[in-house]
Amino acid sequence: MRKYWCVFKIALADRFVYRADFFIATFLRFTPIITTIALWSAVYAGGADRRIGNLTYGEMVSYYLVVMIARAFGSMPGLASGLAKDIREGELRRFIIQPVNYVIYHLHLRMAHKSVYFVMATVPYALVFWWCRAYLPGWPAADQWAPVLLTLVLSFFLGFLINIAVGLLSFWFLEVTSFLFIFMVSQYFLSGHQFPLTMLPDGLREAVTCLPFAYETFYPVMVVLGKCSTAEAWRIVGVQALWIAVLAAVVSFGWKRGLRRYAAFGG
Amino acid sequence: MIVSRYLRIGARFARNGLVRELSFRTNFVVTVLSEVMWLGMMLIFVEIIFANTKNVRGWDNHQYLFLLGTHFVISSIFETFFFGNLQRLSELIRTGGLDFVLLKPASPQFLLSFERVDYSSCANALLGVSLCVYAAQKLGVHIGALNVALFVLLVLSGVATLYALMFIFSTSSVWFIRQTSAAHFWFYLTSCAKYPAEIYQPLARGVLWFALTFVIPVLIVANLPANAMVRQGQFHPWLVGYALFAAAVLVILSSVIFRWALRWYRSASS
Repeated sequence: MRKYWCVFKIALADRFVYRADFFIATFLRFTPIITTIALWSAVYAGGADRRIGNLTYGEMVSYYLVVMIARAFGSMPGLASGLAKDIREGELRRFIIQPVNYVIYHLHLRMAHKSVYFVMATVPYALVFWWCRAYLPGWPAADQWAPVLLTLVLSFFLGFLINIAVGLLSFWFLEVTSFLFIFMVSQYFLSGHQFPLTMLPDGLREAVTCLPFAYETFYPVMVVLGKCSTAEAWRIVGVQALWIAVLAAVVSFGWKRGLRRYAAFGG
Repeated sequence: MIVSRYLRIGARFARNGLVRELSFRTNFVVTVLSEVMWLGMMLIFVEIIFANTKNVRGWDNHQYLFLLGTHFVISSIFETFFFGNLQRLSELIRTGGLDFVLLKPASPQFLLSFERVDYSSCANALLGVSLCVYAAQKLGVHIGALNVALFVLLVLSGVATLYALMFIFSTSSVWFIRQTSAAHFWFYLTSCAKYPAEIYQPLARGVLWFALTFVIPVLIVANLPANAMVRQGQFHPWLVGYALFAAAVLVILSSVIFRWALRWYRSASS
């Protein structure tokens, strides 16, 4: 376990190297929310108490705000493509000969990245949320805190495993860049990032909300917003845990099969 | 003399790009497929919006589709010629690879901007054009030589505007060691520009709208050609002059900033 703690500490220090970039990135990340507010205020124009996809205007804005929190946990930029690159260019061999598990190594890298991100992004997030406080539903109820925190943490693990699972495809197909783009596009829509999944027509919604993507963003956001009962919130946490177990099994199986095909190119 | 030399270099880049494209044919198909998917999902989103409202700040369903088509055309042209190149620029600055470009006996900005042509993005422009034609027909807009010429001119000026903004962003890597990629900046830029400009007017007493229209003119990029074509009532001819002026100023500015930034370039780790 000590070696992974070292990985964690090194990644932590590494993150602080790019401070200026970090602030620019955090600032830029909020720009789409302005567009979102502008767009939905236009759509709701003439009836702010109307419901679209079962959400009022205020709830719609807070949905997108909370999506940012959920994505802060679940998004793994560059994870799938990084794994694909390591496989394609043969970098993976470093891990095969070292007593370090690639997946667990990267899990620690990501935990370190997220820790730094949460510390440094607290101020900008707090400012934006304070500025938008009129739209927000208030703090979760006392008995909702546990599922709220759990669902966010689980969306981190879910996002991690989904990305690793997709990156593993690189063992079988050498060039997956374009495929990863398709994956990103689908994830963007199917996770509820572009719009709340409640807006989809019934049949489509039922299909989409069965996929693990919905448990990465849409459901956690609904839990945080207090849009579901405590029992429902716990059910969502349970399904998330189930998906994590399934994906962990897929990753571990895929990893073993993949390594058998691995040819360590570029050596 | 100089022009013909650069045309020759440009033609060589175009040929290299074609060779690269033909050696990764599956990649071409998948890229086109992914763009079709992206467009499809955007269309679903537009459908959902217009299932709930008749117009968005004065844009009806088909006008909005035309705007989306225009945006698609502009971003495809940009992605074909510049996206990959400008994404590489930050990387070259960070790794010191820029040295090899600076050593060559040609304008570095030209080499950096045109070296790679990505033909697979070019196919997506056709999707955008089809969407525009469909929307224009639904709106009963007459498609004539004159308005198409104006549309093409404004689309090209929009591409130039985006190019200059992205080039400046990538150049700024000289000052900020950067991990945020040009891809992210491009995503934010387009997620702002693909909507009707009017939605920004009520925010912050119109300051934001003004800034994004006249100072960093991303809102006129797709809105202006769409207005010229399908919303003549909202089309102000003087804005054409402004758009061309702004595009020219930004392109010149990008070149000035680039040359200035080179003084700080440290040629790291080469």
